[in-house]
Amino acid sequence: MSQHQILNPADHGPLRIHTEAGAEYGDNVMACLAMPAEFREVQAHYPIVFRRDAETGKLAALALFGFEAGENLFLNGATWEARYRPMAHAVQPFLIGRPAEEGAAPQVHIDMASPRISTSGEGMRVFDDAGTPTPWLEAVATTLGDLDYAWHESAAFFTALEAYELVEPFSLEVTLDSGAVQSLVGFQTIHEDRLASLDGEALAALMAEGHLARIYMVLASLAQFGNLVARKNAKLALG
Amino acid sequence: MNNPVQHLVIVGGGTAGWLSACMLAARLPEKRITLVEAPDIPTIGVGEGTWPTMRETLATIGIAEAEFLRECDASFKQGSRFDGWRDGSDGDSYLHPFSAPPPSEMRDLAAAWQREGARGAFAAAITPQHAVCAANMAPRQRAMPDYAGALNYGYHLDAGKFAALLMRHATTRLGVTRIAAHVTGVTRAENGDIAALVLRGAAPLAGDLFLDCSGQAGILIAGECGAGWVDRSDVSFNDRALAVQVPVLPGSPIAAQTIGTAHEAGWFWDIGLPSRRGIGCVYASRFLTDDRAAEILMAYVAAKVPGADPASLTPRKLAFMTGHRDRFWIGNCLAVGLSAGFIEPLEASAIVLIELSLKALAENFPQGRASMDIHAARFNELFRYRWDRIVEFLKLHYALSERPEPYWQAQRAAETIPQRLAECLALWREQSPSVWDFPRVDEMFPAASQQYVLHGMGFPVPLSGAAPAPSSRLAEVTAKARALTAALPSARDYLDRLAAQSPAARIPA
Repeated sequence: MSQHQILNPADHGPLRIHTEAGAEYGDNVMACLAMPAEFREVQAHYPIVFRRDAETGKLAALALFGFEAGENLFLNGATWEARYRPMAHAVQPFLIGRPAEEGAAPQVHIDMASPRISTSGEGMRVFDDAGTPTPWLEAVATTLGDLDYAWHESAAFFTALEAYELVEPFSLEVTLDSGAVQSLVGFQTIHEDRLASLDGEALAALMAEGHLARIYMVLASLAQFGNLVARKNAKLALG
Repeated sequence: MNNPVQHLVIVGGGTAGWLSACMLAARLPEKRITLVEAPDIPTIGVGEGTWPTMRETLATIGIAEAEFLRECDASFKQGSRFDGWRDGSDGDSYLHPFSAPPPSEMRDLAAAWQREGARGAFAAAITPQHAVCAANMAPRQRAMPDYAGALNYGYHLDAGKFAALLMRHATTRLGVTRIAAHVTGVTRAENGDIAALVLRGAAPLAGDLFLDCSGQAGILIAGECGAGWVDRSDVSFNDRALAVQVPVLPGSPIAAQTIGTAHEAGWFWDIGLPSRRGIGCVYASRFLTDDRAAEILMAYVAAKVPGADPASLTPRKLAFMTGHRDRFWIGNCLAVGLSAGFIEPLEASAIVLIELSLKALAENFPQGRASMDIHAARFNELFRYRWDRIVEFLKLHYALSERPEPYWQAQRAAETIPQRLAECLALWREQSPSVWDFPRVDEMFPAASQQYVLHGMGFPVPLSGAAPAPSSRLAEVTAKARALTAALPSARDYLDRLAAQSPAARIPA
């Protein structure tokens, strides 16, 4: 169970956070949310796919780390073998909190049930002895702000995808070196044929809003499936 | 006659002997190495502070850092702090940290600190290590590779356990032969070299090169080879120490540096290990009685160590002569460790001198007897130079004091200041210490060390001809300190976690 608290020096003065990678810190996940604003970085390392929420029907983008629940093929002991981690993962165990009143500034919240909360005296301090945020927390807070902005800004991107009907279901089946078949179902991707048939007016509108480049980032990211399969094969070969 | 130097024989099994055995076995794997130690002579066991050089030494020898830390009850040492040396007032304290920026950077930062009114501790303006030490933090995280750190560091250790670890390592992993026997004499070759050691109850032991690690007795270098003694007590007055080991409370902070606290006629050392603090009173017998020394030592323990019971402690008394041999290498005999010389442990020079001696030997090893005298002459010149610099640097700690006691007045009397130090001090009013003052390979106390002590003691940074760094550079040091104190664990947490994951601790009860 998560246990969210508003981060503050009175309650969290001596708190330390484990910042290294590791399954024990909850990094053994197959995917995490990717913001359209960070597609340029994400596509350089991971496939980007869409998922439609079963209840609301809304789209979200995901960076894929593996093929099955709990599988992160970029995680190797305490090393995350990619230079970039999507913001939604990098800010853990922190979250954006919104006060009840309208228009109030967002707050930094922390999930005290996260395995990243250190009890060993090792890890990164959040506040210094004077109760001032450490440079590390300042950096995390900046990322949280970026994430919050990117989240709100992403709605227009998905609305445009829906408006031009640019999303189609996507499934993947590859035969691994071991002979086993790896499949991936339930995700969506860009409908390339429809994208190719858009008229100049539609393309100009998408470009003016900044969506077009992001659409092509998603297409380009599909080449990362080759790397993901290679990682899976390497992992199986190592037993 | 040019016999190859193939068999190295080490006499004495303390820190010097076993460190020599390990280093030489690791660096000269084709040589045969035998160590002879008397089965019943205790090691002196007060050399408990190392320099950062020890990390490279241990890595070379092939001991993992976690193993070393656990086996030797060791902690991290990031420098030395000197309390009460300037005038003994409240807040009279400065740090000589192990980390220093490159010389030109340090000169510019020092000038900026002086220009801005010499506010705050000098070392704090120069290196983030000052803040890390003040917070009793470790210089590294456990996930870092062995012997790497965010800051430069050495160790505090239990000398008895260290010698035992080195012995096990040398004999079980490095192929060193250990013989437990008393050396009762030597046999000579025609050229006067030592041909073999005569052992009580064992056959004579022949060798090509003999290392005298027998401690202050110097049974080979002085007893057999006739090295003379160069007395340095005219400059370095202290000749006694009272040492105690004080258990500490579980979870108590472990100091990140050696603490040297000045008293009326000398100083206290205070070395924090995970399980105990080694505390000693160093003094000059012509200024302080043994009884008074014991009294102020117990007062220090009572004041500084929470939960300590001074009445339960029995100080061990050590008397020492300050000085060194006039030659360290004579014929085929080389003195390493206390057999070469001794001076008060104010800057922990004992173990590093062992390492430097072995480095000089290993990197300039005589392949045959013919070149040995050339190597010996060079070695003797180099280590005479080193001893002179040590004597001067330790004197620097006293020379700038304003303490009023007779001992301190005598320490700064002009006739006790070595001429070279007096000349340097005159120059340093005009120009900062530099490589012009300390030009040799592996200078023990380079310009940065001199600057930390000088300006820690209140000696002004000369500004003529200086190019002070912009204020933003001072702010960067502060920012780095904030980042490091956020990222590093306390030394206590680090070492307790390490102990908890030790193989021994995992064995079910």
